[in-house]
Amino acid sequence: MAHDWQPDFEQLVDEHQSMVFSLAWRMTGDRGLAEEIAQDVFLEFDRHLGKIESAAHACFWLRRVTMSRSADALRRRVVRGLDLWVEMEEHHGMQLEPRVSPLGSRLEGLLATLPESQRAALVLRYQEDLTPEEIAATLQAPVATVKSNLQRGLKLLRAKAANHLKEYIRGEEYAREG
Amino acid sequence: MKVEPMEEFEQELRQAFERRPAPSSLKQRLMKSRRVHQPRSHVSRWQRLAAAILLTAVLGGGLVWRNREEQRKGEAARQQVLTALRITNRALNQMNTQLAAHGRAQRQGD
Repeated sequence: MAHDWQPDFEQLVDEHQSMVFSLAWRMTGDRGLAEEIAQDVFLEFDRHLGKIESAAHACFWLRRVTMSRSADALRRRVVRGLDLWVEMEEHHGMQLEPRVSPLGSRLEGLLATLPESQRAALVLRYQEDLTPEEIAATLQAPVATVKSNLQRGLKLLRAKAANHLKEYIRGEEYAREG
Repeated sequence: MKVEPMEEFEQELRQAFERRPAPSSLKQRLMKSRRVHQPRSHVSRWQRLAAAILLTAVLGGGLVWRNREEQRKGEAARQQVLTALRITNRALNQMNTQLAAHGRAQRQGD
């Protein structure tokens, strides 16, 4: 089908690199791997540029392929026998940013301990602000599954955050008493 | 208005999950890699196209040649058969003439 949209690759990279990189980083928990994934995704995007019909299509395509590539990378690492969860927690733990509250920065670390499907749903919901229907289209999954993953992931993350907060307060009190 | 704990938690999540800026090296590496790969991919596309055309031409030419060769051989075989038939016909005619002459000579002798 003919379309009038004239894409400028460099401009699209400027516009979407932060989205692609952040999605890959939050899904894999590894900054280096996220950069590799982002580069691969954009190079593939360049090859498919002729089939992209609009700016919205470009954004959707980039999100979908980034999530799929990140999932592939995670699976490859599991096959290679790495202790992914410990490694991801360590990576997230090292990358705390001062602009985020202590709980906020810890949430990213706790996100890494969630199952992949729940993590994917939460990242698309709270980083990209997508609706469950949009998440379902991006992940090519049923809407009901996405809604269930969102609910379960949110509940699990909240419970982990509450535990973490209790430990943090206990630690503070212990330090004051000591 | 009182904020529900879950809403508050979701708000916290939105803040924690803000997009992070991509490293500046990402775009640089990307553009460099694109420059390196782009001309080669164009050349290889043309090469693939040329190879496909050449292969089609060679195969097509081969088929036409084989067809013509088969026709030529068929025609040669037909000519050989016709020649053989002509020779046989002539031999039979000669044999007939000789037999007739022999018959006449025998009758005159009697």
